[in-house]
Amino acid sequence: MVQYKLMYFPVRGLGEMARLILHYANVPYEDKHISFEEWPNMKTTTPFGQLPILEVDGKPLAQSFAIARFLARKHGLAGKDDWESAQLDAIADFMKDVATECRPYFMALMGRGEGDKDELYNTVFKTSMEKNMPVLEKLLKESGSGFFAKSGVSWVDFYIANFMETFEELGPSVMSAYKDLLKHKETVYALPQLKKYLESRPKTQF
Amino acid sequence: MVQYKLTYFPVRGLGEMIRFIFHYSNTPFEDNRIGGDDWQKIKSTTPFGQMPVLEIDGKPLAQSFAITRYLARKHGLAGKDDWESAQLDAIADFGKDFSAELRPYFGVLMGRSEGNKDELYKTVFVPAIDKNIPILEKLLKDSGSGFFSKSGVSWVDFYVASFTETLEGMAPEVVSKYSEILKHKEKVYALPQLKKYLDSRPKTQF
Repeated sequence: MVQYKLMYFPVRGLGEMARLILHYANVPYEDKHISFEEWPNMKTTTPFGQLPILEVDGKPLAQSFAIARFLARKHGLAGKDDWESAQLDAIADFMKDVATECRPYFMALMGRGEGDKDELYNTVFKTSMEKNMPVLEKLLKESGSGFFAKSGVSWVDFYIANFMETFEELGPSVMSAYKDLLKHKETVYALPQLKKYLESRPKTQF
Repeated sequence: MVQYKLTYFPVRGLGEMIRFIFHYSNTPFEDNRIGGDDWQKIKSTTPFGQMPVLEIDGKPLAQSFAITRYLARKHGLAGKDDWESAQLDAIADFGKDFSAELRPYFGVLMGRSEGNKDELYKTVFVPAIDKNIPILEKLLKDSGSGFFSKSGVSWVDFYVASFTETLEGMAPEVVSKYSEILKHKEKVYALPQLKKYLDSRPKTQF
């Protein structure tokens, strides 16, 4: 049996979609939390100096999307065919562009970047959400399945639901307008295969 | 026969790796280069208000990596198996993170955001190059094939080679010491299947 070990910080962030995939598919894995304190010591041992890393029988795979897509393909969570997989890839990468756009706000919020966080909330975060969330809602509507792919749940639902959970906490007044995306998050979190994990996982801000 | 139409700005940017796949695999496609007002007119008709967009028998696929990976899989340019594909995905996404790190500098350079270009060159651009190119060079060394995957050329070679071309053009004084990444670019550009296209394509700064 394949040995999986996921190494990530003790937060949801970019590690959670891999955890959700593995729990959904009922695949045993070691969920190794790397503290922010111990990280600098192990950084240079990783392929890109970044987390998450998935070790598959001891061999490392880096980058959250590469990990998620690799696991998703093995467990029917990457769309029903190559075309649907590609459409899902596009949605995930679009969401990544949105996250990159919002980075200056998040960095200021965490005290790791320059600028006034309240100003950036308005000029960066709110502006990005108002431009981009309707695009995601339109995609959900077009799919019609309640998930981003017509054929059903995929890794991209896990990615976006996790994001919404974080964004909703950080900016409830902006995010509350996006009822379909909030409903999508609830639909994902109601999946019976995720119940046990969702009830037992640590609560984190991001 | 499948009808392919690629719509992108008249630059290399995030479209060039897609063009390379078509030319490498000798697959006919419409190379629709648009910008300015022509782009503004059709922007809202695209899935995410972004380019590139690939139309396949009229159906759109957005996001450069989704498009490239989809085509690469069809033409043996995505690694020899799922594990190699995943490793390639990881390298490409690392490249995307690298690009994102350079954004504050490029934003000012292209007049899209405010800031001190010379200061950002020193504090953002050069450190990012010096941190990240060695990682790419180590991956090339580990591969041993001259390309990023052991099994041979892939879409990720096309992506990185075009990125290297841009960085070398912008800052030869910083990039010229990275002989392995420059050698990689030359190796990709020496592929016989790309010769006719490379000899005839427009020269662009990025």
